Amino acid sequence: MRLQYILAKFIEIAVIFFVILTMLFFLFRLSPGDPISKVVDPMLTPEDMAHMISQMGLDKPLWEQYVIYLKNFVTGNFGVSFHYGEPVSRIIGERLGWTILLFTTATFLAALAGVWLGKVAAWNKGKRMDNVMSISALVCYTLFIPWFALLLLWIMGFKVGLFPLGGVLSPELWVGDSSTLVKLLDLIHHMVLPLLTLFIINLGSYLLLMRSSMLSVLKEDYIITARAKGLSEKVIRDKHAAKNAALPVITSVGLSLAFSINGGALTEQIFTWPGIGRELIFAVSNNDYPLAQACFLLIALVVLVANLIVDLLYAWLDPRITY
Amino acid sequence: MLNNHYVQRFVKGWRIFIKNPVGKAGIGILTVFMIMALASFCLPLFGPMYDPMTGIDPNIKISTPPSLTHWLGTDNVGRDIFAQLLEGAKVAFIVGLSSAFFSIVLGTVIGMVSGYAGGWVDAILMRTADIIMVMPSLVILLILASLFGQFNIWLIVFIIAIMRWPAVSRVIRSQTLSLKTRPFIEASRVAGASSVRIIFRHIMPNVLPLAFLYMTFRVTAAILVEAALSFLGFGDPSQVSWGMMLQWVWKSGHMFQAPYWLIPPGISISLLTLAFYMLGRAMDEVLDPRLRKEGQS
Repeated sequence: MRLQYILAKFIEIAVIFFVILTMLFFLFRLSPGDPISKVVDPMLTPEDMAHMISQMGLDKPLWEQYVIYLKNFVTGNFGVSFHYGEPVSRIIGERLGWTILLFTTATFLAALAGVWLGKVAAWNKGKRMDNVMSISALVCYTLFIPWFALLLLWIMGFKVGLFPLGGVLSPELWVGDSSTLVKLLDLIHHMVLPLLTLFIINLGSYLLLMRSSMLSVLKEDYIITARAKGLSEKVIRDKHAAKNAALPVITSVGLSLAFSINGGALTEQIFTWPGIGRELIFAVSNNDYPLAQACFLLIALVVLVANLIVDLLYAWLDPRITY
Repeated sequence: MLNNHYVQRFVKGWRIFIKNPVGKAGIGILTVFMIMALASFCLPLFGPMYDPMTGIDPNIKISTPPSLTHWLGTDNVGRDIFAQLLEGAKVAFIVGLSSAFFSIVLGTVIGMVSGYAGGWVDAILMRTADIIMVMPSLVILLILASLFGQFNIWLIVFIIAIMRWPAVSRVIRSQTLSLKTRPFIEASRVAGASSVRIIFRHIMPNVLPLAFLYMTFRVTAAILVEAALSFLGFGDPSQVSWGMMLQWVWKSGHMFQAPYWLIPPGISISLLTLAFYMLGRAMDEVLDPRLRKEGQS
């Protein structure tokens, strides 16, 4: 039964991704201008261009092109970036690690803090602490990300000078032979501001969700039973209520992923974090379509896989789901 | 009779709404921005210098701090920042409201058809909704920009609307499913009404209030996405939006030198989206009595 569920989810994701791939292919064909000049660098020599064109199948009929397009995707052949002059797969492979590092750390920390603060807010419902927390969460949630990031950069980076203005590493540390610890500390130093930005954006929604989920759990009969049994308030809050209330928050990680990926791309752009979102923005502004396409497909894949993980995690935590 | 009924319901809802401090604050902020947006129409009265796009102060060639002639200072080519801020309010309202409206229309129609038709139509529409829902809209807009080049403002509005209908259609679909089994729908089917007529004449009036509740949340999302897109430099170059203003501060390298230029557009975006969000929450309470009791106890 369990295996069937996992399998069904996998197939679902595969089908959705296939639909996205197909749609992108047809959108590319519909877009104005010469398709060849979009994917083959006009600066190449005629022989190289002819080679690229035949490799992508651009001289063949449409359905054959589509098959070649799918085959190229499966084998990880995304063409050559105009700007870097390197295979796209190598570039995005490098960028993906940075994005995942920043993104998972921020999401994880924000979810932990959001669940904890949401619990406290719901427990103190109607008191001043709850009001302050709810309103701050609302403000975090509607904050315009790039502006907040710029403000952080201006105050913490420029005025106070506590943190670097961008990038991931200080070059002088990497050219010389410094110890791993120094390099690690340097990385963390660079990560603080982008991490803080992403953390604050995500925190608001987790807090509000946990608060409302906790409030509805507190009305359940088993909470009254726990009280009647004479359990301490702390045990009721942490063991009985919060554990169950946190479940819906996990599903929301999947749903709010789209929202936080938007934020992630903007954050990477402002802090010049060499991730996949910044690469996509860079590729779009430089008309580097092969690179932009690969970044987009990779982000779509990451979103789908993350949703799959969330689904499976939820099914594992709440056995009622796998009927 | 019927009109009277709706008026009464509206008055009752308004009373609950205005008692809510969140709703009151939302309305307050919104009013301020509304006045700003209206004031942008009066800008030409003050002479060509105050045109948000082309007006240049002949005496100023660099970005200057606030002064009496330029309340919020000028940007790096001598354009008035306050004038741009007013114009931005207008653009934000246009983008937010129209794209929310389109997505509500789309979501309502798709939700009703999906719920009423059932079967494979329902399956296909709801699967599509699922796919769109998990996709980050800014990333989609970026890849479309790389395929189709510069967008104009209405295309941006339209794409945001297409990205935002699924949540609406889900709600409308479940509402339609419950309406479908009511006697008055059966009666009209027996009387020979076509599916189209049943959907638009009998189901639509019943789901419309719910659809418009969801509009406020769509407005928030649309404003944020348009601002982000403009900030990244892929907005409509002929429109002075708040995101565009931030893009100018950033690209001209003034973000560390000109707080009077950096702070107003960002605060405006955040406050306006907050106001719409608060409005939505307060309206939730009007329509959902359970929430209301929770708030009072």
